[in-house]
Amino acid sequence: MTAIVIGASSGLGRALASELARVRKPLLLVASDARDLAALAADLHLRLDANVATLALDLAGEPNPGARVIEALREMPAATALLLPVGVSRDDDDFSLGVGAIGQVLAINLHAPLAIVHALLPVLLQSHGVIVGFGSIAGARGRGRNVVYAAAKRGLETFFESLRQRHAPRELRVQFWKLGFLRSNLTFGKTLPVAPVDPEVVARKVVAQLDRGSFDRHEPRKWGLIARIIRVLPWFVFRRMKA
Amino acid sequence: MSAPRGFALAQCDLVSFDRAYAARCPVQQPDRYRLLDALPEGQVRIARGAGVSYVAASFGADAVSLDMRAFDRILAFDDTRGLITVEAGISVGAVVRFGLARGWCLAVVPGHPRATIGGCIAADVHGKNPARDGTFRRHVQAITLLDPTAGWVAASRQEHVERFDASHAGFGIPGLILNATLQFVRAPTAYAIRRIPVRNLHEAHAELVAHAGAPLLYGWHDGRAGRLGRGVIRFGLEAQTAAPGRAPRTADLPAQVTPWPVRTWNPLGIAAMNTWIQRRWCRPGNATVGVEAALFPLNDARAYYAGFGRAGFAESQWLVPHATYETFVDELDGLIARLRPRIGLIASKLFDGTPDGFGFDGQGVAFAIQLADPRAVPQRTFIEALNELALRCVARPNLIKDSTLDAATVRRAFRDFDVARARLRAFDPKGLQRSELTRRLEL
Repeated sequence: MTAIVIGASSGLGRALASELARVRKPLLLVASDARDLAALAADLHLRLDANVATLALDLAGEPNPGARVIEALREMPAATALLLPVGVSRDDDDFSLGVGAIGQVLAINLHAPLAIVHALLPVLLQSHGVIVGFGSIAGARGRGRNVVYAAAKRGLETFFESLRQRHAPRELRVQFWKLGFLRSNLTFGKTLPVAPVDPEVVARKVVAQLDRGSFDRHEPRKWGLIARIIRVLPWFVFRRMKA
Repeated sequence: MSAPRGFALAQCDLVSFDRAYAARCPVQQPDRYRLLDALPEGQVRIARGAGVSYVAASFGADAVSLDMRAFDRILAFDDTRGLITVEAGISVGAVVRFGLARGWCLAVVPGHPRATIGGCIAADVHGKNPARDGTFRRHVQAITLLDPTAGWVAASRQEHVERFDASHAGFGIPGLILNATLQFVRAPTAYAIRRIPVRNLHEAHAELVAHAGAPLLYGWHDGRAGRLGRGVIRFGLEAQTAAPGRAPRTADLPAQVTPWPVRTWNPLGIAAMNTWIQRRWCRPGNATVGVEAALFPLNDARAYYAGFGRAGFAESQWLVPHATYETFVDELDGLIARLRPRIGLIASKLFDGTPDGFGFDGQGVAFAIQLADPRAVPQRTFIEALNELALRCVARPNLIKDSTLDAATVRRAFRDFDVARARLRAFDPKGLQRSELTRRLEL
């Protein structure tokens, strides 16, 4: 019954939390700041009568995030959905990051999702649940910008591919959404080639698809074509593209 | 500066609702608590809600605007006492809808449903009958502010009382309002609205005073020479029966109304509009109107605002004391006959409060005079003459509405200007909370 949202305090995570509350799922919301979580939980409870528990967890600093999530689930109904709309990118992610910053970007975008999935896998297998990951168009092909972020997102995509290869949809649904530009703090004020999509729009689609088997898809769909074009561009053309 | 995770700062083109002032400004968009105090310590900043103030109160060329719209959550609700605690970025429309679904409502609601609660406090807005319900401050129980120097401050009528008071009509100077606890009142099922035609502003005064106790009370008037004041007083009483039929919910007025390429409110357009209003509204009659529709009449005014065109409009809003009302109205009549300004509409409201600081309150009748093309010389000439007349009549200007006011005029209008200013700046001695409004008026 319980849906777990990792990175629930802002952007797509917050939109997913609202949408899941709207369809009356009990929620465990995980984010780094207890103040954000308290405000969101109160709001969902008051507006939508949602059953919400929260867990403040710094994914960049927590050695075993999965164990903390398992612990927080003890008082909740059985977990049936794990959503991982978590991520961080940096403007200076262009081969100029220090070792600490590289670790932080990898921890939040890759290590924490992997660790949490590993910890929750038995529970979700038992409930024939769903795991939802979120990739990025940045992972389509490596560029001189968003270097560590893109590597982490590509790694996450591979991980979800492994999950999907290992588990049939009847035992565990594995869904991976490769997102184009979202209207969020990551894109705020940036000049983008394509208009960003509202997180609420994506959240509605994600929640509507939770019972629909396993897949790997782009959202918005047109980004699938864009990603394909980026991938098939001859190297000498791709190299000359603006980083 | 090492920016924290999620820190979002960008240059944005912002324009005031009346289109009088536009600037390219840095905007920070915090969406988590840790980002609220992420700006460098000495950075000039100003809070920004929905950006629907008529004047540029939430941005300025040299200040970072803190866009508070992500802080739009309901934090607590006491259904027994009608108390609600909300984050400052929530819209007044959302609060009203939440309350109405549970039998409660805000007593003071500005016309624009997208105005945020933080904005309502910072401007100390008034509602549909300030004579009965006062201004927004009367219904605020407590607030939490972020002071760039002092940090988080909980202020109420019991603690940090001076800062609590100063935050109402404080235009963001006493600190960034983060959340507020508001007192609801029981919501009616609907409003029974009665229309009383008036031939001039003298009749309007009599009708306003006669219905001072109604929950809804305001007038619409023709502002043309020879017809000044002709219009209607609308007063609404709580109805026990619902509005007939199921009226479709009108979409909220956008934060920025896209202007029409051609200005409609030229003399011909104004004449046509006033004729239509006269036929449609200025007849005796009754109607039962849903609460939401009655509280947010501006939702139906999109075309009206668009019709001012790219040049925008100015709203001169003055609270004229009863003692000088006759003089003001008679001289205004003469002024309009002589200068023939293009006035879209005049709205009137009754006030019965106590003036405080830079707030728009007192005892008298407030006139909101909306003028097309305010930068045109004849219009400016009228505005200057109107300001002089209002000052002679000891009227009080509404700073949050009028982009045409300058510091000298405001100093003359507020005899305790220096005291009121010092009261605000005592909470911001370094002058870190600034906007175009505070710069223009030297607040």
